[in-house]
Order: sequence, then structure tokens, then C-alpha cells
Amino acid sequence: MKLHLFISLLFSSPIYVSFQMAHRLLVRRIWTLSVKDLRCLPASTSSFSTSLRSSTTPLSFLSPKHTLPRSLPHTSRREVSFNVQDHEDFTERVINSELPVLIDFHAQWCGPCKILGPRLEKAVAKQKGKVAMAKVDIDDHTDLAIEYGVSAVPTVIAMRGGDVIDQFVGIKDDEALDSFVSKLVGQ
Amino acid sequence: MAALCRVRHRWKRTNCIQLLTRNLTGTFDYDLVVIGGGSGGLACSKEAAQLGQKVAVLDYVEPSVKGTKWGIGGTCVNVGCIPKKLMHQAALLGTALKDAQKYGWQIPGPISHDWSTMAEAVQNHVRSLNWGHRVQLQDKEVKYLNVKGSLLDEHTVKGSTRTGKEIMLTAKNIVIATGGRPKYPTHIPGAVEHGITSDDIFWLKESPGKTLVVGASYVALECAGFLTGIGLETTVMVRSIPLRGFDQQMAGLVTDYMEAYGTKFSWRSVPKSVDKLSSGVLQVTWTDEQTGKDQRDTFDSVLWAVGRAPETKTLGLEKVGVKLNKESGKILVAADESTSVPNIYAFGDIGEGRPELTPTAIKAGKLLARRLAGQTNELMNYDNVATTVFTPLEYGCVGLSEEEAESRHGKDSIEVYHAFYKPLEFTVAERDASQCYIKVVCKRGGDQRILGLHFTGPNAGEVTQGFAMGFQCGATLTHLKETVGIHPTCAEELTKVNVSKRSGLDATVTGC
Repeated sequence: MKLHLFISLLFSSPIYVSFQMAHRLLVRRIWTLSVKDLRCLPASTSSFSTSLRSSTTPLSFLSPKHTLPRSLPHTSRREVSFNVQDHEDFTERVINSELPVLIDFHAQWCGPCKILGPRLEKAVAKQKGKVAMAKVDIDDHTDLAIEYGVSAVPTVIAMRGGDVIDQFVGIKDDEALDSFVSKLVGQ
Repeated sequence: MAALCRVRHRWKRTNCIQLLTRNLTGTFDYDLVVIGGGSGGLACSKEAAQLGQKVAVLDYVEPSVKGTKWGIGGTCVNVGCIPKKLMHQAALLGTALKDAQKYGWQIPGPISHDWSTMAEAVQNHVRSLNWGHRVQLQDKEVKYLNVKGSLLDEHTVKGSTRTGKEIMLTAKNIVIATGGRPKYPTHIPGAVEHGITSDDIFWLKESPGKTLVVGASYVALECAGFLTGIGLETTVMVRSIPLRGFDQQMAGLVTDYMEAYGTKFSWRSVPKSVDKLSSGVLQVTWTDEQTGKDQRDTFDSVLWAVGRAPETKTLGLEKVGVKLNKESGKILVAADESTSVPNIYAFGDIGEGRPELTPTAIKAGKLLARRLAGQTNELMNYDNVATTVFTPLEYGCVGLSEEEAESRHGKDSIEVYHAFYKPLEFTVAERDASQCYIKVVCKRGGDQRILGLHFTGPNAGEVTQGFAMGFQCGATLTHLKETVGIHPTCAEELTKVNVSKRSGLDATVTGC
């Protein structure tokens, strides 16, 4: 029942922050960037804040110590995409997530991760809130990454109800990603 | 919320810290516990695990005075060889860009270097190596614990986490490979508060600016070398001689090149104090030992490279009975890396009398693991180890210095062949090759066995490696002369060496 509430809320108001699903589940407005902008994703927070329309909407942000999402799509869609803070956060928002979750294990030093990241965001955005994306920086959360058997990055794990349904390593193109995500949402 | 939460936990591999106790049958938790996750510790633990031993490696980085810390991998990966070589490369590329114009490249405008870009790239690479090591440990089934290890008794290790939690592990054998850290000259006022060391330089987010490097070890010269190369005003302050322990003629060529290259040298100088001025710059006062007068200058950074101290103080060694060398503080070890306590071993930088090099630590660690698993009796051979100093003009060597050969065999029993050569690449670039030099120290008469081989020039490490194998095989001057050189290279000059120092003839190579 609460799942229905969540989905209806998604479509009824421009933006909202829900504290009912999970303590720290956040929803933020994401704007799609044009393809060429996706190539030059800054790691710093400055461009994120300048491109957000923050005046009228009550947005709350994740703790600034982790890099913010690497892509900011411009069309107004609601997305559930967040950076994992710690093991507890992972348990709450990923393992115990009501939604199926894509876990994006990435690293600052990983070139291909910078290419895959925005593609994943796009694929997740297309699902209009049916799937969440958890981003794990493997340097910040090495133990977690090792626990999930990550060796090379990017590694993407599809999880539903705390179980690993599927995973892949390396880059996928948009089509392959869409099909991967659809499969996760589908069943 | 609680109703919605289906509690599912992954117990696959928990990382929560548990109290490990000796089980009822009296066996140990581990066959081997390695304290120290650097070049030596990792090699030893992985090898042991591969041989079927149950191994745990404890790695912990005490932050530097400035607060710098890093991941697994030890000094080499994080604050030594790797970042050093990358920054050295950055500096060499700067020189190459200048040379490029003579080779026809149209480079518009003046070339400048951005520290942050280089530092971020280097730091990212180091992080990828930290990750790689974690994956390898996982693959090889070595238990990794990010705890500060210390000995409680000869079979028990205590591990303390950053937050103060403690765990105990028992082990049949314990290996100490905790390495060393840079020393601070604590007797100099302001040294600790205002100076940095090699632990910090590679992790600076912003340029160190005008830098004073105190010391004349290879750490000091290599750092000063790349700082100069990327365009920073750099001064090296030397108390007595450069590169102590290395062939002094070669050391002189290295520093001559650096001076010609733009690094300032303050010879026979001893720093007295470091003060921070209101503008934020550091004012250093030092004594010029030649004149006895005090001098003063300001710098943005002061880098202390005055030696390294072994990490033995917090290991609890005294209590357990592991003997140390009183002067150096390093652990006294036998040829098989054993210490004064039967099942405790030590190797790498921490071992007294051992070379402070990664390859020797790795090899020694692997052999130790094999011996402990009963697979071999082979001991580590610490002789004939080749090294290279990655100063702007690199210096590679294997075997004895000329002084050491003289002292061991007598000046009359050795013959030194030498040559000043010019790398072909320097010609078009109009670069000065005065310090490009080769020296082969041999036994005089008989088979003229090579006792030492020295080379200054570009890519000295690459050049020396191959000759080190010949050296290991007992190469003689005849072998060297019978080897046909590859042309045109700098390395071939080694095969063509024929003028002896004794002859007094001009050793400059002329033409093909």
C-alpha cells in the first residue's frame, strides 16, 4: 500500500522528499543534459548547485563529503539515485529497499566509470521511479565492494529484495543498459 | 517502516571485528600473521596463502604529522617509488617539451605546469593500486585487517582499530614487515610544526611552491629533482656529502647535473630554525659551516629528507624479547630473517643491514613464506642488487662502488674502465651531456671479473637492469667486450668501454 502511495506521490507533485519509505530515502530533481555535456562531468559540487532550481522547492542534499551524482538530466523527472554513505545506509536503502536497486560500484580513478555513470542514470531515469540506483565509491567503501566480489570497475549489480539478480562489469551501451534495467524491473 | 522492512542481511563475509580466541584444541587462529601491508608484507602473505597457509595481514597507517594518510600497499605504492617515478616522469616531460622545439615541434607560447592536475592523476593511480592489492588479498584468501598490530607474546598479536577497538589473533608464526617512516629533526625549532616530509609531498593538493629540501639522500635529490623539473624554485641543503653509501664520483656527477639543471645547492649547511611569517611563508635560518655565519631565506615549503626511522616503537618488541640494533632501532635478523625469538621473523626496511628496496623485500618475503611452509631452504641473496636513483640525470648501478672495491681489494688489484659519452638524443636538442658517464670497476688481471658497474644517463634504470643479470652471472670484462652493442643506444657504450683510469687517457667517446 505504501508503495502505491510512493508512486502516486511521484507523479502528483513536482518534487518532494519522502521520509516514509526509508529514513534517508531522497528524491531529487534531475535534468537531462545533452550528450556532449555528459562527457565533461565535473567531480566538484559547484556545477550541481548552479544548475538546480532551488528557490521554491524543499530539497535536501546528501552529506557533501561524497561526490554528488555525476549527471544532471534537464527534463523534470523524479529519480531515486544516491551515494551510499556507509554499511548501515547500504543495508537500509539497498538491501531493504522496496524498489529494485542498481548498485553502481565506481572509482575516481576509473575512466570507463565516468562513461558508464551517466548512461546508467539515463537508463534508470527512463524507468520513471521503478528502480533506484545506489552509487558506491569503492575507495570510500572498500570493504563493501570486496564483500560483493567486485574486482574490476565499473561493476553494476542488480538487486531485488536484498538478492543479487544480475550483474555486469565494464561499459554497456544505452540499448544493452535499457534491457538490463528492464529485466530487473520486469519480474 | 518496520513492517515494510524485510530484514535480510548478507552474512556472506562480515567485516565486523570479532574476538578471535585460541580454540579448545589449542591450535592457533592463523598459521601466519604478517604485521605490515607493504611491499614485503603483502608478498609474504600472498605467497604463504598460495601455499595453503591460513594467513592474516595487518596494515595500519599512522597519519603523518601533517595528517596525511593512505591505503594498503606500504611506502612504495603510496609515498615512495610509485608517486616518485610518476612525478619524475612529469618533470622529464617538461624537459622533453623544451627539446621538442629543436626537433621541429611548433609549441605556441610558454609552457607551464599545473601541480593539481599532476597530483590528482598520480593520487588516482595510487588509489587504483590500493584497490588492486585489496582485490588480490581477497582472491588469494588472505585475511586483511586495518588494525595497528603489536605483540603480546610470541604467538599473540593485538590489533587496535582507529576507533580504539581491540582484537586478538594467535599465530604459529609472526612476521614483522612494518618498514619505516621519515624522520623529523625534532631538535630544530619549528621543524615539526612547519615542515613536511616525503609522506606528505605526493599527497599535496596544491603546489609546494618555492621549496627547501633538507638532506642529500636519494629521497632528497629525487624530490628536489622533480620539483625543479616542473618549474618550482628548489634548494637542496646538504650537511656533508650527497648520496652517502653510493659511489661518490657518480654522486658528484648527479648533483653537478642538478645544479646545471636549475636546482640550487646549499653545501655544508645546517638548518637552525624554521619560523612562519605573518604572510604565511616559512623563514629558515641556517648555519653555513664553511664561514660559520648564519644565513636566512624564505620558502613556501620545507621538506625534511634527513633519514628514515624504523616502525618498531609501538610493536611491543621489548616485552616479547625481539632484539633491536640500539643505534638504528631496526630489528636484528639472521640470514633467514629470523629474530631473537624463534617463531618471529622480520624483513624489509625494518631489518638491520637490509637494503631499503621494494624488490628485495618482495623476494625475501616470498622466500620466507616458502621456507615457513617447508617448501624450500633457499635464503635471500642480498648481494648484487641493482638500483637506480631517479634524479633528473638518472644514475643506475650494480655491485661495488669504486671506493668499496678499493677498500676490499686494494687499489692495485682493481682496474676502473670509464667513458664520458653523449646520448644521441642530446645532440639535436643541444643539451649538455657533461655528466653522462660510465664506469666499470673490475678485478685487475685474471678473468677481470666485474665488481661494480655505474651509469649516469637517460633511462638508467632500464639500462642497468639487463647488465645486472650479467653481473649476477659473474660477468667479466671479457664478457662485456664480447657483447655486441645495440646501436644507437646509450647502453652500448658499456660494451665499448676500454679506457682505464690508470692510463690517464681522455675517456671521452668520439664518434661511432
